[in-house]
Amino acid sequence: MMSNERKRGPVDVLLVEDSPGDVRLTQEAFRNAHASLNLHVTSDGVEAMSFLRREGEHEHAPRPNLILLDLNLPRMDGREVLAQIKQDAALKTIPVVILTTSEAETDIRKSYQLQASCYLTKPSQLEEFEHLVSSLSSFWLTKVWFTGRGGPDESQLD
Amino acid sequence: MEEIMISDVKSQLQLQPSDEHREKLSRLSLVQLELAYRKAPVGFALFDSKEFRLLSMNDNWAEMMDVPSHQVLNKTIEEIAPGLAGIVEMFEIVAQGGKIENQFIKGELPGRPGVERHWLVNYTPMFDKEGTVEAISTVSLEISAEKQLVAMGIRAHVAQTEAKYRGLLEAAPDAMIVVNQSGEIVLLNVQAEKQFGYSRDELVGQQVKNLIPEGFAERLIADGTRTAAEALAPQMGTGIELSGCRKDGSKFPIEIMLSPLESDEGILVTAAIRDISVRKRAEQHLAQTEAKYRGLLEAAPDAMVVVNKGGDIVLLNVQAEVQFGYRRDELLGQQVKNIIPEGFAERLIADGIRSATEALTQQIGTGIELYGQRKDGTEFPIEIMLSPLESVEGILTTAAIRNISVRKAAEAHLIQMEARYRGLLEAAPDAMVVVDKDGQIVLLNVQAEKQFGYLRDELIGQQVQRIIPEGFAERIIADGLRSVEDALAQEIGTGIELLGQRKDGSEFPIEIMLSPLESIKGVLVTAAIRDITTRKKAAETLLQKVDELNRSNGELEQFAYIASHDLQEPLRMVSSYTQLLAKRYKGKLGSDADEFISFAVDGASRMQRLIRDLLVYSRVGTGVYEFRSVSSEGALQQALTNLSGAISESGAIVSYEHLPVALANEMQLVQLFQNLVGNAIKYRTSAIPIINISAVRETDLHWKFSVQDNGLGIEPQHFERIFGLFQRLHKRDEFSGTGIGLAICKKIVERHGGTISVRSRLGEGSIFQFTMEGGDSQT
Repeated sequence: MMSNERKRGPVDVLLVEDSPGDVRLTQEAFRNAHASLNLHVTSDGVEAMSFLRREGEHEHAPRPNLILLDLNLPRMDGREVLAQIKQDAALKTIPVVILTTSEAETDIRKSYQLQASCYLTKPSQLEEFEHLVSSLSSFWLTKVWFTGRGGPDESQLD
Repeated sequence: MEEIMISDVKSQLQLQPSDEHREKLSRLSLVQLELAYRKAPVGFALFDSKEFRLLSMNDNWAEMMDVPSHQVLNKTIEEIAPGLAGIVEMFEIVAQGGKIENQFIKGELPGRPGVERHWLVNYTPMFDKEGTVEAISTVSLEISAEKQLVAMGIRAHVAQTEAKYRGLLEAAPDAMIVVNQSGEIVLLNVQAEKQFGYSRDELVGQQVKNLIPEGFAERLIADGTRTAAEALAPQMGTGIELSGCRKDGSKFPIEIMLSPLESDEGILVTAAIRDISVRKRAEQHLAQTEAKYRGLLEAAPDAMVVVNKGGDIVLLNVQAEVQFGYRRDELLGQQVKNIIPEGFAERLIADGIRSATEALTQQIGTGIELYGQRKDGTEFPIEIMLSPLESVEGILTTAAIRNISVRKAAEAHLIQMEARYRGLLEAAPDAMVVVDKDGQIVLLNVQAEKQFGYLRDELIGQQVQRIIPEGFAERIIADGLRSVEDALAQEIGTGIELLGQRKDGSEFPIEIMLSPLESIKGVLVTAAIRDITTRKKAAETLLQKVDELNRSNGELEQFAYIASHDLQEPLRMVSSYTQLLAKRYKGKLGSDADEFISFAVDGASRMQRLIRDLLVYSRVGTGVYEFRSVSSEGALQQALTNLSGAISESGAIVSYEHLPVALANEMQLVQLFQNLVGNAIKYRTSAIPIINISAVRETDLHWKFSVQDNGLGIEPQHFERIFGLFQRLHKRDEFSGTGIGLAICKKIVERHGGTISVRSRLGEGSIFQFTMEGGDSQT
């Protein structure tokens, strides 16, 4: 087996989050975790979709390897965004991680039904939040293989 | 008068020739004699003595016959003069050698039919040499013409009188026959012809025995021994019953009235004969009927007494004997007063005023209650039914007398019972109305008067619709379809809600309980009517409250959602960034800044806990939770796992006994144990916390759980308070907490249908106890 160490450069992550406080907090948490990534941010569902489809000002946007999606968003909420991504043949292979404050069972069930990759809630304590982002980073940004980008070893593309 | 007249005629007819004349006669030639004979002004006729055939006659005789002589010659006297009654008998007498002179006869002759004629006749036997009668000579003188001339006036009177009597005779409704002393019928009327089926001619001269075979003759003989005067004095025959015999031989019952009638022919007997077959049949029928009714009378279950207008007992049955203790003959003829001392007479008088028909149409006596008196003087209650009975003796009264002592006793008992039940009825807190099958109110209590605003009298006999306009009648009809047994078995009416209407027209809500009540008047329905205005209002208010509560609950849920997301979001920002601030700039901004930042961090944290607990609390009562059998021990273990940090930190010793299966929502049960054990650890003394959890069966269904600790304990005045929301007993710097934990416990327990309480003494620990439905204890 090839080494799992990353050889592919920074992963492109799209954060869909309307709260600037959370955006900054997330950025701070990734920094705190010494993660290497290209973090792109859209503040609502509509903009997220246009980013993913490279529409308008997002013409040159990269195809993200991972999406961090909040559920409660203005204009088009996270559930709808998730549904559209998973119905789109070009986008449905992108893993979507739900990152929200909702602990509602209906939201959890709905998200997995729409084939979210995992469901995470934002802890209220800073320390816990930092710990969450750190684990997220050490897993998704270092261990996971992505389609079109491969894993740490380019030759291992399937 | 007539007698005189006839004597005159006789004198003219003295034809006895003297001896000198006989000599002269013998000298006359036969021709001369024959001429004299032929032309004589009287009728001569000569008959043979054997068959009474006419041998010779003169012109006068032939004229009398009104027929040519050759037509009658050699004919018998019967053939020539059939209408002359008794003439043959005369001939017979003369044929024996007798001589009859001046015999007065009358009758019709065939030559002049319909005309009655009268003659005087001499019959003389003519002997041969041996002295036997060879021929009979008759000399006849018709006297009618003469009578008309001489005694026209008298005869007319006689005829008139006779016609009158004959008219009377013929007009009589009965058969009338007149019989002479030898028993021969001499006269009869048309009724007699009809009754006996003979024509008049066939009967005249016949023996009455042919018509009335027996009894009449004896009667005649008996009467014959009496003198005419004797016979005339008392009205003969006050009606004797005999048997008549018709011409065809059939017999029929007759009644005869005899009366004597003096005439020239001696005393005759007039018999008035009445056909009594119809009456006989009626009598027979009556006798049969009477027998039948007597049978009925005796078979009647009641004492039956028939009383005449004078109040005398004329008939009674065996029941009457038994009931009154008399023998039949002791009672017959007695005054009815002796057995029914009072009331009966008055009744009789009252009924006597009415005609029988009136009384019958009015159905006399539908039962009147009186007292009967036995022979021994004892009295007993009776019920009498009177009915009029028309009879030959006038209108009688039939009294059916029933001994009602048993019924009376039952009634007395009933009245007693009724009084008792009436007491109960009046004491009832509800309005009670008893209604018959037609929906009429027959009984009610004072509560009913009050509730509906009527006086008792105003409601009795009224339709129940007046106070319960709808629903009640339908109910009764529905119940009416069921048998009493069904209705009783099914316990009619388990409470139906209707509207009652007061006298003033106002309506109010009522609840009715119906139950059937068997009575002499049929099945009645007892309705217990409760005014449920207050209850209705309370229920309405309650519904309103529930509505309000639901609304506020909804608002709380809304609030919970807001708290969970929209409130938590900014709070998380405050909390996160103050913590970030503290982390990055601690010791760089001066000691004041460090202190301020720490207060901000602490406040934000507490607020987050508060909001989180409130969210838990509000969610306990909302949402649909399924209660299922869960292991309470499992739930406790889960709670202990969740509390493992606190337990190990405090060094608490937690023990539990076998805990049962509980019917619960598992998450909430875990929460409950967690809060209680958590509190036991939190509010500890300096000693090591010792905590025990146990359960005992309280009822078949319920268990009582206890969580006992050796902690601080609680003062009794706080026992209630601690279960309230945001209630804290300690300062924040002593024990952190939101004051929601026990409120959540209370809510969980109550939501499971149980109760929660605390027993404690300050400094001696506490026992929190809650009940919950459960099954068998786990093994």
